[in-house]
Amino acid sequence: MFGQGLLKGLAITWKELFTRKVTVQYPEEKIPLPERYHGRFELDVDKCIACGLCANACPNKVIQITREKVGKKQYLTRYVMRIEYCMFCGFCVESCNKGALRFSHVINMNQYFRDKVRLVLVDRPVPEVLPEEEPAKAADGSPAETRGKTARAEVAAGKAPGKEG
Amino acid sequence: MGENIFTGIAESLRAFLYGAGVPPLASELIVLIVKLLAVIIFVSLNVVWLVYMERKIAAYIQCRIGPNRVGPKGLLQTVADVVKLLAKEIIIPRRVDKVVYLAAPILVFVPPMLAFAVIPWGDGMAPIDLNIGVFYILAVGSLSTIIFWMGGWSSNNKYSLVGGMRVVAQMVSYELPLVLSLLGVIMLTGTLSITEIVNAQRGTWFIFAQPLAFLIYFIAGVSEVNRVPFDLVEGESEIIAGPYTEYSGMAYAMYMLAEYGNMMVISCMCTIMFLGGWLAPFGWTFLPSWFWFFIKVYLMIFIFMWIRWTYPRIRVDQLLGFGWKVLVPLSLANIFVTGVGMYIYRAIGW
Repeated sequence: MFGQGLLKGLAITWKELFTRKVTVQYPEEKIPLPERYHGRFELDVDKCIACGLCANACPNKVIQITREKVGKKQYLTRYVMRIEYCMFCGFCVESCNKGALRFSHVINMNQYFRDKVRLVLVDRPVPEVLPEEEPAKAADGSPAETRGKTARAEVAAGKAPGKEG
Repeated sequence: MGENIFTGIAESLRAFLYGAGVPPLASELIVLIVKLLAVIIFVSLNVVWLVYMERKIAAYIQCRIGPNRVGPKGLLQTVADVVKLLAKEIIIPRRVDKVVYLAAPILVFVPPMLAFAVIPWGDGMAPIDLNIGVFYILAVGSLSTIIFWMGGWSSNNKYSLVGGMRVVAQMVSYELPLVLSLLGVIMLTGTLSITEIVNAQRGTWFIFAQPLAFLIYFIAGVSEVNRVPFDLVEGESEIIAGPYTEYSGMAYAMYMLAEYGNMMVISCMCTIMFLGGWLAPFGWTFLPSWFWFFIKVYLMIFIFMWIRWTYPRIRVDQLLGFGWKVLVPLSLANIFVTGVGMYIYRAIGW
């Protein structure tokens, strides 16, 4: 019959009119992220040994590590990712032997200014003595040092200081 | 229930003016102006709503949600768009024909508005009850061709010119089957008065007496209002926006809104000529007549939108070939068969 295709088309659109809509209203509803999602990086600063494997693995030279020698050990003072160049390939996370560098599920890293994009995972001063070498000293540490510790904890949780997660 | 709301308002206004000692001619004039204003406001609101409805239906057919941010359920989306467009500059390119260029978007709303003046929105609710209403609507409806052409010609743009050319070609080819298809109904009723045509459908709606005419009228109507699958005039992928290419701001919005106005005219005409106008089907008179009219018009509008989001655009040669080689002969055949049928019925005295 002539015109059968026209009716078929109308039938299809009529059916689609009542099917469930696939739109996810982003800020209110979110699709759950997969386990291995490549989101914002987080660094467990206590596990990190400042070996620099991640910086070596990075194809884009995103990771900048500053470390100091304290006693016999390397001490990580600053861990900065120039995230504007990062392509989230995950080589750095793969290369981390200690499991210190991980992906989080934080996806909104947008900033109003370009210089704020840079992700500062660790930024801390060099202590005179490493805490694990002389636990007695750390116990009676000054209040200033404990404040430094909470700041470090915040950094470790993947939050850059002074930024909305 | 609610049947006499609008006629009642008109009557009470007339009585009030009579009581206030206004001379009869002046009071009739005031009532007429109020009626026409009411129609203009109703149509404008409808047009704003139709833009939203179109977007919603498009979204639903495409498994999306559609506008849902501005106002409850996105209802104020079109209002926001109009406000935005009002604030925008109407760019006048160099070397356009300024007078014609600016006149076109102002005039584009005139033909549908003129047509709405004679449409009966319910039982006895025609603002002006012309005895040649059908003729008037057809005459006024084809005026929009000139206005689109004005816009296309004056824009000094190749796309606009091609679009304008297409408007003329398309409207000339499809105006013919549009008018001829209505001729069958006019032959059956023997009148050009819209009210009498609707009243003649008390027994059967003319969609059953003249199914072919309805189909031809509907197809030609889709083409007249430049909607998919006959939207060669605007055809984004070929000629940007046809005659509207150079327009911006509210001038552009006027064209867009007028498209919906024209669509309403065609839907109203479909309702009046074939779907029994304000008459309730199956004697379901628990809803007022104006509401039935409204439901039928919106049903037609929905079909327009449904078709728009189903079919692809056809080619120019297909369009003209279909118009001249299929629709015109079919409508002529319809007139012939109607005439013969009427003669036979009269001969056997049925």
